[in-house]
Amino acid sequence: MSGSANHPPLLREDGQRLDGRSLEDLRPISIEARVLNDADGSSLVIWGKNKILCGVYGPRECIPRHDESPYRAVLRCRYNMAPFCSLEEHGRSGPSRRSQELSKVITECFENVVIAESYPKSAIDVYIDVLQSDGGTRCASATAVSVALADAGIPMKDMVAAVAVGKVEGKLALDLSKEEDNWGESDNPIAIASRNGEILLYQMDGQLTRDEIDQAMSMAKIGAQKVHQLQVDALRRVYDGASDKRRVPLELQPGEVRQA
Amino acid sequence: MEVQKELKHQQLMQLLAAGKRADGRSKHDYRDIQITRDVLGNAEGSALCTIGKTQVICGVKVSLATPFPDRPNEGVLSTGAEFTPLGSHLFEPGPPKVEAIELARVVDRGIRSANMVDLASLSIPGSSKVKAVYVDLWIADHDGNLFDAAMLAAVAALSKCRMPKIENEKIAFGEYAGNLPVSCLPVSCTFGAIGGQHLLDPTLDEEKGVDGLFVLATTPDFVCAAQKSGWMGYTQKDIMEFVDISFKKGAELRRLLEQ
Amino acid sequence: MSKIVVPGEMVADKPQRMAYTFSDGQKTYAVALSLLGDDGKLVPLEGPYEPLVEDIVVGYVTDIRFTGYSLSLGTPFSGFLSSRDTRATLSLGSIVQARIINVDEVRSIDLADARPLPGGSLEKISPVKVPRLIGKRNSMINLISQMTGCQLVVGRNGYVYVSGMGNHSLALKAIRMVEAQAHTTGLTDRVAALLNEERAKAGQPPMQMPREA
Repeated sequence: MSGSANHPPLLREDGQRLDGRSLEDLRPISIEARVLNDADGSSLVIWGKNKILCGVYGPRECIPRHDESPYRAVLRCRYNMAPFCSLEEHGRSGPSRRSQELSKVITECFENVVIAESYPKSAIDVYIDVLQSDGGTRCASATAVSVALADAGIPMKDMVAAVAVGKVEGKLALDLSKEEDNWGESDNPIAIASRNGEILLYQMDGQLTRDEIDQAMSMAKIGAQKVHQLQVDALRRVYDGASDKRRVPLELQPGEVRQA
Repeated sequence: MEVQKELKHQQLMQLLAAGKRADGRSKHDYRDIQITRDVLGNAEGSALCTIGKTQVICGVKVSLATPFPDRPNEGVLSTGAEFTPLGSHLFEPGPPKVEAIELARVVDRGIRSANMVDLASLSIPGSSKVKAVYVDLWIADHDGNLFDAAMLAAVAALSKCRMPKIENEKIAFGEYAGNLPVSCLPVSCTFGAIGGQHLLDPTLDEEKGVDGLFVLATTPDFVCAAQKSGWMGYTQKDIMEFVDISFKKGAELRRLLEQ
Repeated sequence: MSKIVVPGEMVADKPQRMAYTFSDGQKTYAVALSLLGDDGKLVPLEGPYEPLVEDIVVGYVTDIRFTGYSLSLGTPFSGFLSSRDTRATLSLGSIVQARIINVDEVRSIDLADARPLPGGSLEKISPVKVPRLIGKRNSMINLISQMTGCQLVVGRNGYVYVSGMGNHSLALKAIRMVEAQAHTTGLTDRVAALLNEERAKAGQPPMQMPREA
């Protein structure tokens, strides 16, 4: 996010982005619910080249015991990157400082919507594995978590959809690609509650003016509505017809990528 | 968990007494196996192997590394396994537990002793660095027999692994020059032992009930790795039975990998 | 026609007190992925077990103490069966059917009227699909039981006891089919067809299915 001049141009001469999108376009997104067998709820989100697998267990016994609350279930989201997820060096396994921070902000996002009071002294565990990363994994992860929680039947006041808004070549752009994130001037991952429009995850780096921040949130809301529709479609597809939707094998290379 | 194991043991004994398995298979049958290669784009090699509802993803990354001091002319092969907690209610987050370490080491032995990857070919002439091949196994769904699923996933991913281009002792990620050469396709067969009976390809329910697992990895001509896991003891005759079945079933598994 | 609603989706344009919903004072919204029926009621498609007094549950003994037995019910907490409330002598791993007599504010479950269920297996299904597996006036459970020769006991908590006698693997297949297709109509007919098909493979005559009331 240096805003350095030593980077390739991020907009083409016709004003479109390098992957052919306009400033308001999302990348192709495919969302599937109920993709795992043992997990109580699960989802696979393929967002551009990101591939995010999410599994939910619970409410179940809270181990270790000192984490538990007599008032509500504790929600624990764990964001984790596979060592083979990036194009560059083989990654180390185990949580990095970055993944611990993302686990925290994603957990807090869903603490707002999950009705945890019904399950005191228990735990709802949400595991997020990034199998392939390409910029915007935290928004794709929050989107995946919402679908997996709904698939598990965990009571929630709302669904959550997330998308980033950034600034490239001086212009605000929806859903930054990896290059745009690396070389752009600002990145704002934003998660939005679909019913009441509340912002439940907000992070920001780079520099934006007051008006740009305002406009970024408006753009994120429009993007999140499109993502929300894909989430709803994915959940409804689980109950299409009479076949068991827990597919084996996982479709990590979907034949059809649903365009947002 | 201990009580559940005991319960599963009793149920398994009852079924076996009637000559049955819970899913209706015979003792030496595999469940449906599916192998899909190239499921991930950033990894140099990748595969998804499913046996029944067990799903194992393997991602292979190739990097540069300093060779081991006693083997300056050989590359590095390293195998890891992650029992990611989304794969089973039995898995917990945290550093790898002993079961994950055992799985990674058995798969590593199978690949290494079969000389599937020629480590000398991973050296870089005129350079102090060598190529390192990292094989990572990701257990996305655990319904038993992780050994065979992991072995198939690893061998499938390695046998179609792109080699990145190397320029000035640096890897040009995203640019490739040929595939990793492999010499053979090792496969493994896992047996669950209970009350003197042996069940090939045990499900998770069966694994909870059995007294031990026996894993044998084979190439067409040789046994290349073995692991006795669990407290159960075996006779020489038992183990020779495993060897004979492993060669026979191994040929069938290898055909799946060759498709 | 019923419709699938997601959490946060509006189900009534005025405040209403209804299971699986909440109200913001103006409208009423679903809290779980559910089927919204023509009657305006919600049937959840998935979700955890909510223990209620008088529920019949199935579990297995995980601990024996002087005061009684701990039972695993697949819930975050085990159920407790006091020695005073049972005459049955149970051992570790015994499968048991019991009735819930109390649930406190932290969801501790007290049990009574234990009945041991010997020599079978314990299967787990989604608790919200239990009514479908039982069927109207026990029609589904009777169908599976009669056509496989297995005795079945279904607990509200989603644990199902399947006796060791009879065609065990076929009974499991039928249970999994009901679980996967619980939201569809005409399920009893399809389960009967599956069971008859498998019986035919084994050379057994087809059976008339019990009439659905």
